[in-house]
Amino acid sequence: MKNKFFALLTLAMVAASSCKNLNVNPSDAISTGTITTTTDGLTNALNGAYALLKDHIEFNGTVDANNMYLRQFYHLSDFASDDIVCGQVTTDPLYYSFSLGHSPSQSNTRYYWYVSYKIITGVNTVIDAIEKSGKTDATTNQLLGECYFLRAFCHFNLVRLFGKPYSVDPNAPGIILRTNLTDEAQKARSTVKEVYDAVITDAEKSATLMTQSRGVQYASQEAAWALLARVNIYKEDNDKAIEYANKVISSGKFTLATKATYPSLFANAKSASETIFCIAFTQTDDYGKFGSIASMIYSDGNSGWGEEYASSSLRDAMSAHPEDVRWSYIVPSKDGAGNVQKKNGIEMYYISKFSFQDGLPNLSSPIMFRIAEMYLIRAEAKAKKNDAAGALTDVNLIRSNRGLEGSLINAVPAGKTALDVVLDEKRIEMAFEGHRTYDVFRNKRTLDKTYWGYHITGLKETDIDLSKKPSGYPNLTVPYTSPRTIYFIPIDEILSNNKATQNP
Amino acid sequence: MIRKLLLICCCVLLISLKGFAQSSKVTGRVLSAKDNLPLPGVSISVKGTSNGAMTNVNGDFTVNVPAGKSTLVVSFVGFVVKQVEVTAGQTGVQVSLTEDVQQLNDVVVVGYNSKKQSELTSAVTVVNASKLKDVTANNVGTMLQGKVAGLQVVNSSGVPGANPEIRLRGVSSVNANQSPLFVVDGIIGGNYDPNDVESVTVLKDAASTALYGSQANAGVIIVTTKKAKQGQTKFEAKISSGFRTADFGKLNVMNSNELYDYQKEFYRDYIVGATDNTYKIDLAKFYSERPLSLRDQNYDWPKQSFKTAPMYNFYLSASGKTEKNDYYVGASYYNEKGTFLNTNYQRINLRANSTYHFSKRLDITNNINLSGSMGKSYDYMDVYYSFLNMPWDNPYDANGQPIYVDGNSTFKWWSRDKINPIHTVKNSDHSYKGFDINYDLGINYRITDWLTFASTNRVAAGFNKGVNYVSPTAAGTYHGTGYLDELNTLNYGIVSNQLLKFNFQLGDHNLSGFAGAAFEGSNNEYSGASGKGLPEGLRVLNVVSNNQLVNGAYDKAYLQSLLSQVNYNYKEKYFLSASVRYDGSSAFAPTKQYGTFPSVSGAWLVSNEDFLAGNNILNSLKLRGSYGVTGTQDIGASRYLGLFSLTTQYNGLVGAVPYQLASPNLTWESKHQVNVGADIGLFNRVTLTVDLYRNDTKNLLLQVSQPLSVGFETKWENAGNVINKGIEVGISSANIRNKDFEWNTDFNINFNNNKIYGLPADIVKTGSWSISQIYRNGGNLYEFYMPKWLGVDAQTGAPVWEKVVYDASGKAVASEKTSDYAQATIQEVGSALPKFQGGFNNSFRYKSFNLRVSTYFNYGNKVFSNNLRFMMNDGHEPYYNQIKLPSGSKVWSGPGDTQATEPSPQNSANSTETSTRYLKDGSYFTIRNIAFSYTLPKQWAKSISMDGITVGLTADNVATFSNFLGQDPQTTIQPGSFATPGVSDFKYPNNRQYLFTVNFNF
Repeated sequence: MKNKFFALLTLAMVAASSCKNLNVNPSDAISTGTITTTTDGLTNALNGAYALLKDHIEFNGTVDANNMYLRQFYHLSDFASDDIVCGQVTTDPLYYSFSLGHSPSQSNTRYYWYVSYKIITGVNTVIDAIEKSGKTDATTNQLLGECYFLRAFCHFNLVRLFGKPYSVDPNAPGIILRTNLTDEAQKARSTVKEVYDAVITDAEKSATLMTQSRGVQYASQEAAWALLARVNIYKEDNDKAIEYANKVISSGKFTLATKATYPSLFANAKSASETIFCIAFTQTDDYGKFGSIASMIYSDGNSGWGEEYASSSLRDAMSAHPEDVRWSYIVPSKDGAGNVQKKNGIEMYYISKFSFQDGLPNLSSPIMFRIAEMYLIRAEAKAKKNDAAGALTDVNLIRSNRGLEGSLINAVPAGKTALDVVLDEKRIEMAFEGHRTYDVFRNKRTLDKTYWGYHITGLKETDIDLSKKPSGYPNLTVPYTSPRTIYFIPIDEILSNNKATQNP
Repeated sequence: MIRKLLLICCCVLLISLKGFAQSSKVTGRVLSAKDNLPLPGVSISVKGTSNGAMTNVNGDFTVNVPAGKSTLVVSFVGFVVKQVEVTAGQTGVQVSLTEDVQQLNDVVVVGYNSKKQSELTSAVTVVNASKLKDVTANNVGTMLQGKVAGLQVVNSSGVPGANPEIRLRGVSSVNANQSPLFVVDGIIGGNYDPNDVESVTVLKDAASTALYGSQANAGVIIVTTKKAKQGQTKFEAKISSGFRTADFGKLNVMNSNELYDYQKEFYRDYIVGATDNTYKIDLAKFYSERPLSLRDQNYDWPKQSFKTAPMYNFYLSASGKTEKNDYYVGASYYNEKGTFLNTNYQRINLRANSTYHFSKRLDITNNINLSGSMGKSYDYMDVYYSFLNMPWDNPYDANGQPIYVDGNSTFKWWSRDKINPIHTVKNSDHSYKGFDINYDLGINYRITDWLTFASTNRVAAGFNKGVNYVSPTAAGTYHGTGYLDELNTLNYGIVSNQLLKFNFQLGDHNLSGFAGAAFEGSNNEYSGASGKGLPEGLRVLNVVSNNQLVNGAYDKAYLQSLLSQVNYNYKEKYFLSASVRYDGSSAFAPTKQYGTFPSVSGAWLVSNEDFLAGNNILNSLKLRGSYGVTGTQDIGASRYLGLFSLTTQYNGLVGAVPYQLASPNLTWESKHQVNVGADIGLFNRVTLTVDLYRNDTKNLLLQVSQPLSVGFETKWENAGNVINKGIEVGISSANIRNKDFEWNTDFNINFNNNKIYGLPADIVKTGSWSISQIYRNGGNLYEFYMPKWLGVDAQTGAPVWEKVVYDASGKAVASEKTSDYAQATIQEVGSALPKFQGGFNNSFRYKSFNLRVSTYFNYGNKVFSNNLRFMMNDGHEPYYNQIKLPSGSKVWSGPGDTQATEPSPQNSANSTETSTRYLKDGSYFTIRNIAFSYTLPKQWAKSISMDGITVGLTADNVATFSNFLGQDPQTTIQPGSFATPGVSDFKYPNNRQYLFTVNFNF
């Protein structure tokens, strides 16, 4: 007995005292040092950067369905425009884009800022690893080019939302540039001009590096040129804008959708002839009512909230041409009698540019760049270079593919400029795609929101008289000089980065 | 060798004593002073001799004494030792023993070993079963509230089966785990049922916690389960049954009429900037949009969503002892229906403890605990809408069926989002099931008289499954498709301790202690799947037709340690103790895995000195002091690595996302603790325990906020230190104690103060709803950081915040008012941690009636009442019901309205943004529990073959007194998902509970 027991005892002691290797690795993550050593790893990291444009990632300890790069980009851009009207007040910060009651603590800008820089950090890690590796084969260069592209793309969207337009004040504070991994965490904002310069440098570099085509779901040489065309038209470098728009157009890879194909363009973005670059959503990325881009602006009754609609201002601008196929993305909600329904007194015209991929009401692969924009950028540049005829040619090219072949504009109408014509066309063509506010303010124009909607604070349903325009309310128009054309730098940055200054 | 020496000494002593002695007998009886009943098993020894005896079942004894006068020492566990002068040959000696309030001889389990209360050199509080069990709950934490000085217990949720948050001596850590370490039957971790608990020991200072090293920063709570106490087989049965009601605190929502009147304010003719404002309420517009008939539809959503719910608890146990075997078997069943619709919890627990005595040297202990639980939880949004939906909507149709409401419904639905939570709840559930098994194997082998080998080992495994199911018939996002989400969690692990324990007595010197090794390993494996497109009536993953998603992961943690302790005492007056633990943890980088955690402590039992012997005022006095170091490593795996998470995909291909910043030097957070204390016994009635402590937590494991522009929210760093200083006082008093009536009072209070120092820079942490807290040198933990609300601008009705004007040197020189939220100064406005908290408990006994009243208080903390953002929203969200405004509140009505406290709905931009408007005083006093019981006369019990029957009535969470406005000042104090410490949001409310209990002993 005693011996048996001591045998057991010895065994137990040996078992207990034998040292175990205490190193434990996570099961669903890879260390930065490891992932950057293989091409597969770097490709995964690049895919991750694209994924962040569509994913809802944890922020403040929670995964909030509201928090998605693209969803917030469209809200912050277009809800501030005269194309979309608010049908219901809400405590959701998306309302501040309508009411202009911006605050540094609004959660949508905070997340947008955060996830933008997470994309930038991800691609910076890949750029750093590739450049240290010394590899220069075409596949690696394509990878590297896409990283530069995404960095330029994200910096540019940030400076559009948080910095004044270049044309208004290039020396105004822009955003914090993150172009390497070694900068101090606390860093001051660069000027708008510095940001534009960095964006152009990155985009140009990416255009030379990307020689392979991985499909429109990924960045490409043409996407880089398209970005450069856009950045340069914002910068009012009209020659460069034309140069890059021409490069995209003459690549021959993209053609304008026709009257027949345009209505199905957005539901089939990944295979559409116009798409230069889109963010691929698959059925697993159908975020439904809470997290999709479409859910605030479209609903089949259950699919979304559907509280924001195509504005009467936009519809008025299109009303002369019911044959315009661009109406196909404005869907009135009608009652049994065929009358357009109202929500809190506002007519419900749903917007369907982000719906119906695979027939699903909340699914689409949002298009970042398409060929129509290139024609319109070229038209705008030509108009600014006093080439009215050239501008109208490009405008008519669009119109002739939108069911308006009978209503081409052959001369600048009286009281308008060629630029007016281009911007009017662009407003309709690119509506809800995140362009309108920038186009208005960078051209030093005033945004006119003189129509009924809950951007008017304190409005009651009974105040609404659709037979006339609202008057006597403050802030119906927003001049480009208003400090509220851009958003406050998020509170987290200001509180954790002493060098970051706040917007007025 | 030593043993032999001792033996020889003893023999010599005995022989020499025998030489003088001429023995004769003394007989007598020992009774309990309380009820004059005989006490069996009392030990009688004769001072100065080796003679001794024990009382029999009738309390009688016979003992040999030397000739002449001698002194009997009469001692019994739980009673004060008594010395009686006798003369040889005396008969019929009556000795009456009084119960020992100080319980100096009670054995206290202090971790890896046990000590007599008198030998303790550390700050320890023992709560035995009788004091715990006035509260019936599914966890021990709730039962401990208000009973231990320095222990803060927060019931932050009332969801069935919820566990409270527990903090010992304030908060000494920020992002690392702050819950005390639970040790069950000597082994870290473990599962048990509260009914099986014999006693709970709370270890507060490093003298006893340092032995748990890197896991003991937040203190240690030791749970000891029941064992057989006597030979005869004893049965105990307890039946509790009662009901619970939801306690909404001060969250009183408006009724139809109140809301109707309130909404008139939205129709004031006021356009900011216009010149023709009349500032009158435009009733014509109001009535056309809000018909008068609305006032007739008054549905009380919170009241109807939270109903009175029954609960039961049954417990049956048997215990007994034979020469070879001790056993205890307990079974309990707990069933609680939730107050919120479609929620519940039930648990069944079986425990078998047995110790087999193979020989005088060898004992083997087998303890097994099996438990299974299942229940239904809730969806946050359903509770949210239950508070916010408007009384103008009725969720039921004429037949009493919940109505279906969605965006296509043609009738008017006033509440936001066209959602009827009652219909949703009826067509969805959030269920879970789990079972858990613990097997403990203990080997105790007495190698020699002074040396014992003790091995304690546990194997534990558990499986849990959670399901979220939404029927295709539910309205909303899954309408027509349904949704199913399942998550399975498997966890298993072992704990093993191998110790050699020694104990020498050499004259007046006693030396004891142990040395050994310990290992802990745990594994958690998760797997789950979800999908949409369910056929009606079926709810398994096999039938989901689209949006199928899968997920799965695992994590592991290991800890291996060497540990030892040495205790020395001289004449049971002077005590010294020292311990050391050496821990290796898998949480850190290979070069940072090992750490050492020492402690030293001492005590002087002054009352054992001659000069205090027999003192009637000061019965006992012990002075204690300790110093030691504990640590924290419980922050999750691999926090030191820079990581890319591979949990996403783009276009169907694997995506990797930057997930964590590298922090290769990350290591232990260590807490250097100093404690001095005194245990004082006065007048044989009062015990007073006072402890002063200073806990210096160094190298805080902190998630340091990063500028978001680096792409990460935080980085794990060892940054800064925090000092907790405090005083704890516990008083236990037997105010009145006689045959028929007893009145006992327990009072405890803990003042705690914390200060941060050594941070390289201020850290501001901003969480959900942009609620920030600042960590600053010289500041408190959980210090809220937000603009100060200054009320309403009397001229414009706009909200006003404070704007502090600073001079060039950064000094505040003036304060201005601003109605531009972005201009308001963000400033420190108070901490979420209380200044003091404690309990005041009284128990009364009259004959067989007992009454116990427990209260708990908490003072000086701030709570951010986030509900008010929705429920005092100035018309920002007119589709939500509102809280009844406190008296004295007034909505601005026109220029010059200096009485206004709430801004004009027409001019309230940013009024609901985070500011001190919603930051409230979180102090409260609560009558935690009232328990009344009656023990039936013995004869009655005997007549149905019972030894004793006790019936009782208890009421829990009877009343809370507070100035807080909102749901409940008891809110989470744990930073984590969804939660900033001290932020109160919509939650499953706590419950009032009323129970009837019957206890049988047979």
